[in-house]
Amino acid sequence: MFKNFRQDWMSNVRNDVLAGLVVALALIPEAIAFSIIAGVDPKVGLYASFSIATIIAFMGGRPGMISAATGAMALVMVSLVKSHGLEYLLAATVLTGVLQVIAGWVQLGRLMRFVSRSVVTGFVNALAILIFMAQLPELNPQTIGVTWHVYAMTAAGLAIIYGLPVITKAVPSPLVTIVVLTIFSIWMGLDIRTVGDMGELPDSLPVFRIPDIPLNFETLKIIFPYALTLMVVGLLESLMTATIVDDLTDTRSDKNRECVGQGVANIATGFIGGMAGCAMIGQSVINVKSGGRGRLSTLVAGVVLLILVVFLGEWVKQIPMAALVAVMIMVSIGTFNWSSIRNLREHPRSSSAVMIATVVVTVATHDLAKGVLTGVLLSGFFFAHKVGQILRIRSLAEDEGRARTYTITGQVFFASAERFANAFDYKEVIDKVRIDVSRAHFWDITAISALDKVVLKFRREGTEVEVIGLNDASATMVDKFAVHDKDGADDMLTGH
Amino acid sequence: MTQQDNKVLACVDLSPYAQHVADYAAWAAARMAAPLEFLHVIDRHPALQGGQDHSGALQANAEQSLLKSLSEQDAARTRAEREQARIFLNALRERALAAGAAPVDTRQRHGDLDETLHEQQAGVRLFVLGRRGESAHSTQRELGRHVEQVARALNRPILTVTDGFKAPERVLIAFDGSSITRRGVEMVAGSRLFKGLPVQLLMSGKASQDGPKQMAWATQTLETAGFDVAGEIVPGDPESTIAQAIQAKGIDLLVMGAYTHSPLRSLFLGSKTDDLLRSARIPTLLLR
Repeated sequence: MFKNFRQDWMSNVRNDVLAGLVVALALIPEAIAFSIIAGVDPKVGLYASFSIATIIAFMGGRPGMISAATGAMALVMVSLVKSHGLEYLLAATVLTGVLQVIAGWVQLGRLMRFVSRSVVTGFVNALAILIFMAQLPELNPQTIGVTWHVYAMTAAGLAIIYGLPVITKAVPSPLVTIVVLTIFSIWMGLDIRTVGDMGELPDSLPVFRIPDIPLNFETLKIIFPYALTLMVVGLLESLMTATIVDDLTDTRSDKNRECVGQGVANIATGFIGGMAGCAMIGQSVINVKSGGRGRLSTLVAGVVLLILVVFLGEWVKQIPMAALVAVMIMVSIGTFNWSSIRNLREHPRSSSAVMIATVVVTVATHDLAKGVLTGVLLSGFFFAHKVGQILRIRSLAEDEGRARTYTITGQVFFASAERFANAFDYKEVIDKVRIDVSRAHFWDITAISALDKVVLKFRREGTEVEVIGLNDASATMVDKFAVHDKDGADDMLTGH
Repeated sequence: MTQQDNKVLACVDLSPYAQHVADYAAWAAARMAAPLEFLHVIDRHPALQGGQDHSGALQANAEQSLLKSLSEQDAARTRAEREQARIFLNALRERALAAGAAPVDTRQRHGDLDETLHEQQAGVRLFVLGRRGESAHSTQRELGRHVEQVARALNRPILTVTDGFKAPERVLIAFDGSSITRRGVEMVAGSRLFKGLPVQLLMSGKASQDGPKQMAWATQTLETAGFDVAGEIVPGDPESTIAQAIQAKGIDLLVMGAYTHSPLRSLFLGSKTDDLLRSARIPTLLLR
């Protein structure tokens, strides 16, 4: 236990602290931007980022992963905030946490194996597109306060973000962007939209408070669907990110502990007036890139973030939205999986279809859970189709034309049952049919009833049928569900 | 694997101290007529990878390019270390063969030192471990950071060695009548490791009632096994009495029970074993 403690917290102090600082500075613009996406005051996202990062540092299952207020979660909340307001969002956040803790206890994380690589790629691509789209209102000439200055500043911001690392990697370039653009706009006295126009910023440390909502069934009916979606999206992104960090650092993580940790973090966050969040792919990559590996990096990120915004609130207010937009465009470019576009042609068409379907459904519904569900269902469908192809039926006349042996090889289940049933020649005049299934597997009741039908159809022609070589697993399916080897089978087929 | 059973496993890193580990391991293996294996563990600790990039910017395909660069760094480091260690281990092997141990095998493994040793311990009769290693110059610690971790992870005797090799001639058993040291006495009696060496038994600490009885049993056991034994009960602080006995009697190998208390206790109160290992500058056989 102590060894783990030392390993998780103390093995990499200098790098963890430095990386935590870099992440804290990168988190501030994102937390503000995601609050704006969700339609709440920037302080809701900033408090959330502080509380989630700090709690996950202790409770999470993946040291070195960064969790905070995220775009994926913010997108889900939009309509709840619009229709019912902040208090319902806080209640939904607490409920999300409760559901996530339960999910961790029942080890729901294991379901992640059904989320294929194509779905994951679709998820991050859709997320990148949505984050980018959320910046468009700030660049829309129809929005009040958007002048040519905004475009110029956004362009300048992007130039600094991508240009500065070429010269030096010692300072975070997004931070330099924000500082330079803020000073420039104050100095020039530009009348453009700033973070202060977007709502309240934190002016104190967060305090505990219970969401101001009626505790009744009506409320539950409103928040439960949102909480459920938030739970799914939060765990999906967190577990995905955990896998990414696992790969990057070549270490293992405790996925169930991560689920419970996310839940606890969200419960606590709801009670201090923060919005639900989860792990962040981009920030975790930044953390690892900056040398962060241990829990200390996450803790430093959370604590430094709060200190900065509480004490520098007056300055944070002055940040022009153009600077924030530049940072978020960087986040969206960094999140998008660009090689997936090149891979569209190289990968199997079904995989590409799953990826594109996930993106399209997500972007259309603004709901990552629906997108992922579509992707998972579609990949299951494609898989069933492919495995259904693995079925070969050969036949050979024997015993001087009195008998015929059908040899079945492959998988018989709902997707291949019809092909299986159609492969027999029922009109053939013959004494005996032998069906050799020793190299086949009967997976479900559709397959069993198909076999039943085949057997009964032959019997009605007066042909004797023998099924040989049912392997053990298939045999249990047949024992449980088949009718042809029980009395009165023929009657059942004809409906009497 | 049966051939590998009951081997002496010498854990070495690429520091000059490995020479002494090799000498003692060869001495022990030769005396016990046991096979000797040199093990070098490449601990590719992820936290050791430096992060120089504090730009905080996400380039396109940031994740893929980071994964690529990190795994390339790892690969390059591992390859270099593997080759270096192979040459080093072969030199140690030659040295051990020259000292009369046979057969001598070498092995490199990836992983965490204590986990690796724990996995290996089924076929091991004796571990040999340097008390200090590669990082000895860069820290103030007199005792390498791995010693306690490793000793706690294992339940085989561990010979921890210091600088310089001198074939042990006089053995001191720090005997306190506990079950662990009684087992130690039985082990010494039954093993060929100390055959023919004079053995000194020392009981210290608070005088206990059945001390003399225990001592008589231990002396008896060792005498029966053909050892030249002298037993002594010296009340007083174990650390100083043992140190004095080593000085006075020219002892060059100490046998004692190790880390019998919980890790928590040793975190707050320090460990008697650690103190003894620091003060006794001779090879020490830790009994678990």
